[in-house]
Amino acid sequence: MTLFAALFSHYRRHPLQLLALALMIVLATTLWTGVHHLTDRARVSLAESERAVAGQQQLVRDDGQPVTVQDFANLRRAGLCVMPWLEVRRPPPAGRVIGVDPFAATCFGDQAPGQAGSDALNGEPFLDIGEAAQLSTNGGEGVLSLLVPQTVDPAQLPPGYQLRGFSLGPATGELGESFLLNLDALGVLVLLITALLVRSVYQLGLVQRRESFALLTRFGVPGGRVWGWLLAEMAALTALCVLPGLWLGRWLAALLGGGFGAALENLFDTPLYAVGAGGVAVPALVMGAVVLAACFADRRLLRYLPAARYVGTWPAALVGLVVGLLLVRFATVLGWLFAGIALVFVAVGVLTPRALAGMAQWRARAGEGLGKWRRRELAVVFRRLALPVVALQFAVAMVLAVQALVSTFENTFEVWLGQRLEAEFYVEVPAFVAVADGVHYLDGLAGLGDWHLVQRGRAQLESAGGTPALPQVDLFAISPVGPLVTGWTLLVAAPDAWSRLAAGEGVMVNEQLARRQGYEPGDTITFRLDGRARTLPVLGVYADYGRPAGEILTAGQVLPAAFQPRFVSFSINPGALAMDDVRQGLAAAWGTEALTARDNQSIQTLASGVFDQTFLLTRAITVLTLVLAGASLLIMGWVFFTTRVWYYRLLSVWGLTRREAANQLRWLAVALTGCVALVALPLGVWLTWVLVARINPLAFGWSLPMAVYPGFWLEMLGWCLLIGVVISLLMGRQLRGLTPAPAMANVAAGGER
Amino acid sequence: MSRHLNAHCPVLLALCLMLAACSDTPEPAGFAGLGADVTEEAFAQPARGDDLRFPDDFGPHPDHRIEWWYLTANLTTDEGEPLGLQWTQFRQSLVARNPLTPAPPAHRWPLEAGWMAHAAVSFREQHWFAEKLARGGTGQAEARARPFEVWLDDWHLQATAPGHWRLRVRDQGWSYDLRIQVEGDPVAHGDRGFSAKTAGGEGSMYFSLVDLAIEGEVTIDGMTHAVAGRGWFDREWSSQFLKAGQQGWDWFALHLDSGDKLMAFRLREEDGGYLSGSWVTPERAVIPLAAGSFSLEVTGQRQTGAGTVPVQWRIRVPQQGVDVTITAPPGQYWNDGLFPYWESPVSVRGSHRGDGYMELTGY
Amino acid sequence: MTEPVVQVTGLSKRFATGADAVTVLAELSFALPAGASLALTGRSGSGKSTLLNLLCGLEAPEAGRLQVFGEAFAAGDDGVAGDASARWARLRRRAIGVVFQDANLMPALTLLENVRLRATLAGQPTAPAADWLARLGLAELANRYPDQVSGGQRQRAALAMVFAMNPGLILADEPTGSLDHHTADDVADSLFSLQQHSGCGLILATHDPALAARCQYRLDLGHDRPELAATSALPSAAAPP
Repeated sequence: MTLFAALFSHYRRHPLQLLALALMIVLATTLWTGVHHLTDRARVSLAESERAVAGQQQLVRDDGQPVTVQDFANLRRAGLCVMPWLEVRRPPPAGRVIGVDPFAATCFGDQAPGQAGSDALNGEPFLDIGEAAQLSTNGGEGVLSLLVPQTVDPAQLPPGYQLRGFSLGPATGELGESFLLNLDALGVLVLLITALLVRSVYQLGLVQRRESFALLTRFGVPGGRVWGWLLAEMAALTALCVLPGLWLGRWLAALLGGGFGAALENLFDTPLYAVGAGGVAVPALVMGAVVLAACFADRRLLRYLPAARYVGTWPAALVGLVVGLLLVRFATVLGWLFAGIALVFVAVGVLTPRALAGMAQWRARAGEGLGKWRRRELAVVFRRLALPVVALQFAVAMVLAVQALVSTFENTFEVWLGQRLEAEFYVEVPAFVAVADGVHYLDGLAGLGDWHLVQRGRAQLESAGGTPALPQVDLFAISPVGPLVTGWTLLVAAPDAWSRLAAGEGVMVNEQLARRQGYEPGDTITFRLDGRARTLPVLGVYADYGRPAGEILTAGQVLPAAFQPRFVSFSINPGALAMDDVRQGLAAAWGTEALTARDNQSIQTLASGVFDQTFLLTRAITVLTLVLAGASLLIMGWVFFTTRVWYYRLLSVWGLTRREAANQLRWLAVALTGCVALVALPLGVWLTWVLVARINPLAFGWSLPMAVYPGFWLEMLGWCLLIGVVISLLMGRQLRGLTPAPAMANVAAGGER
Repeated sequence: MSRHLNAHCPVLLALCLMLAACSDTPEPAGFAGLGADVTEEAFAQPARGDDLRFPDDFGPHPDHRIEWWYLTANLTTDEGEPLGLQWTQFRQSLVARNPLTPAPPAHRWPLEAGWMAHAAVSFREQHWFAEKLARGGTGQAEARARPFEVWLDDWHLQATAPGHWRLRVRDQGWSYDLRIQVEGDPVAHGDRGFSAKTAGGEGSMYFSLVDLAIEGEVTIDGMTHAVAGRGWFDREWSSQFLKAGQQGWDWFALHLDSGDKLMAFRLREEDGGYLSGSWVTPERAVIPLAAGSFSLEVTGQRQTGAGTVPVQWRIRVPQQGVDVTITAPPGQYWNDGLFPYWESPVSVRGSHRGDGYMELTGY
Repeated sequence: MTEPVVQVTGLSKRFATGADAVTVLAELSFALPAGASLALTGRSGSGKSTLLNLLCGLEAPEAGRLQVFGEAFAAGDDGVAGDASARWARLRRRAIGVVFQDANLMPALTLLENVRLRATLAGQPTAPAADWLARLGLAELANRYPDQVSGGQRQRAALAMVFAMNPGLILADEPTGSLDHHTADDVADSLFSLQQHSGCGLILATHDPALAARCQYRLDLGHDRPELAATSALPSAAAPP
């Protein structure tokens, strides 16, 4: 029998332990690879999109009107190198395409958008601009931009045009990075949890094998060789398990890819490009390193790091906790925020098992008899199962937080959508009809409920000093400002905000714009419309979820007469009239045949669909992590109880009936998982606060109200207790097979307190 | 025709679009795709008996696959130095459209045709060349008969008054701005404008303006030269220009000091080729030249960076008593665009003196 | 003569090992008088531990009958709705103290807490627990945990635990098996002196002839037909029945 065979014989006797270890590595790899693959693809997509237009400039008209093919032809004929860029957004799942004209791009030479990429302007999302234009006439929304090379001299510009920076949507790169950073953090958390789990399983096995190691040492085998074989054994196991894990991870990524892609597209206007097989090496190496580090870090590494000795101590953890909390509270950069979160998690991971064990120990002082024993035993369990306990705590906290975030967002979003969709019907004004005819018709309609005219366009922000660095924003004009909007909840508002808005004495801005430019009620805002600058006070800030663009809300009368909106519609409550009659009346007033009135239900359904897709991935990851943590606590609890089974059997020797002994175990297991749920709760609530009040504003520009969901807490508690019950049932099975004499090696292994 | 863009860069992609058949036709389709088979498309094909119509034929022919507007000038600077220049604008249809059917609206960014413009200046043994591409239908590139106007971007040939044109071309480092006085009526080549290109009868509609009096300015590297001289203008359209097996052509347009004009070309094939030409008298009577009535002979070659080019020719037209040697000035005159070809001014010596232009493709 | 504390009649036990069945005990019969001590001897695998397990109901016999403290058990009883197992549990809780070679104490409890817990389970007062530890020389160590004391001290604590429950019968499986000679003698001294003092029955399984010799009776399970035999430790007045 070789040394390796002797070492490995442990797993021959405990095949389930080997299976548990293997399963843990496979699941961990799956989960992390899945997340990593998705974020990787998303990152590539964002980078591709960004690189495609990196450093590009565009020409816009001085009068603020959107550029047309006529502008393109005029500019080309004026000798300027200009290329068209027609972005067409289609409803999900079709997504966005970009129409380009390869003929026009030739004058860019090496500077053509996307030339840095290997297959620039080739394949999704690029297609010929003629085809894109076709799509845009078939229901998509097309936006034309005219790009010019970086070398263009502003002095060469024909009159009526000016240079602007060009990027895919407003500050997509930064936003996308933040989104991915969130996902990365989630991925790291998953990695951390799985590392804890792998380590705990491995360590349990190691404890059981301590006797055989001692035996081998007595037989004269050098400790280094034993260690080397253990490393080889783990490396082999990792290699075997990482591969199916990678494969499953890819499969998971593919499964979630659709929803994720939709989320990415909805949030950042960036489609998820399919990325080829790509990096198998990175996830494989990372997982290998994590597994080996989780198993062996303390044996070699920590010995040489004097500082590492203090990391696990509670005073250090306490300091870490305080520093982490402060960082999270006061950080102004996402990176520091995440560092703070990591610090808090590490500290909580160190402190939680100690605190729980201490609590159980403390409770045991008062007790007597079996009650005392149970609490003492619970303290032991907390210490011995510290890693899976912490893993479950983290997982539960993560689920609580993400659920709270998603629910909060969902509720807020619904309320917000309800406010935004106050009217029952929406009628889009067709091109080439006189809006005024519609207004006139509605004005004269007796019995009609509330209605207003919505005009959307773009405005150019200007600073008081005239520096041209400020961005373009969406313009949202309403006339008349009436009950359909005055019910909106404002985040902050000046006195009489709505009446002053209605009088055209000021504007409101959305939260994104307010955060980015630091606007508060009382500030003034200067923006250019149709070439004319206006300065008006900010009257209020309204919530505007789910998109990054800044927006200004004004009364219609603020608009110049010549203002050419990009989109015009009526929001109408038909009141005493039938909507169909109103629609037909409008159609007749405009002399058109086709006029569609959408009811707000259908819009709400569409919005909810988009929302659900957006959070599918987050939910999926958290639930999978919870399942993993729950399953691992199950396995770990089971393995742990195996080492301690003799002492539970002693209860029978001491005259407890089987049922009484089983009850003791049930109490123990349920108390274990119940306590984990309880300590996860504050962490989860804190994490919720971090997500809604810290990360979201820093990353996306809007915050959410903090809400808690005790019903869901109870649900999570229920799940944890269920895990406990299942553990105790498994233990009961072990107790039934009676071989009453203690197996000495196992007793020694399980005899710690 | 709407096709997905699948080439590897815009230029290649444009090339594909210009070739129009690059994915369908594996074998070479002649120079610049001019030999592409047209039978599967609804393109009109010129035939003997077709007539020229003026001024409409100065405008585009959307029902034909290929056409061009071509102008060369043999000029002299104030200092008496010779200067040659060329401007050509090509139109390549991707979809045939009946000229009576209105064009699709510009905002649809239609892809009916690709346009290509070439401009070159040859001066002091140097050659400057530029190329521009555009899709048709947006207003970026177009041609009109009334008033006569052809443009791509800011390269612009335009009738400014009856019998007066202006041509402006600008590229990095050089430009020209010419005022052109058009004298005489269009000269129809071949059979009343139908110019056969094969023995089998394929060919193009082809006419020229051979009396252009030109003056203007040419700016090279910041130095502006006042120039004056004479020019030659061609209009030609077809749907299948070369037949399978024809590798390219050698084409000459010569101004003789006697007041005569000579246009002659050869479409090269393995066993010689197809020769044709026109003799235009000072009275502007046109005498078509068939294969037997004149000869072309290479008498001198030049090694260039892109291959060996026949730069000296002997042309004989026995009926007119012409036996001249045509010589390109020293230098390299490649128009190095998507489809490189040789375009050089030439001098005429021998029985007659004169100057003109030589275009060699497929080398 | 008092009623025997243990009466065994035709007791058989086999273990299935794969396809074979190994007979460990065959048709064993004996009776142990109250307050008597019995040593079970025999080579490894002769069934000493098995017999102890049968005598406290931790295993069930294939055939035969058992009577402990007048409570009768027969082979197959266990099948009757767990009634036998509940009766055995009651006996173990109140009347039968079991001492193994090691690991008799709950590791999470101190020596004193272990003794008190066992007394509580047996329905005995917990107050004397400290006294029991003191009598076994463990007064100083009462608040130590099992892993903080030596093997001999652990075994003495186990004895204190057993005596604190005021048992009618002590079953000891190699109680000194893991101890060195000197410590083993110490523990054995304590065991016999307390047993004689309390008057409870004692059955111990041992390989140690010296320890076996200190019991009044001896049952050599290595024999084909084991029979109860008196040892020199038995006062001649009390001959076997």
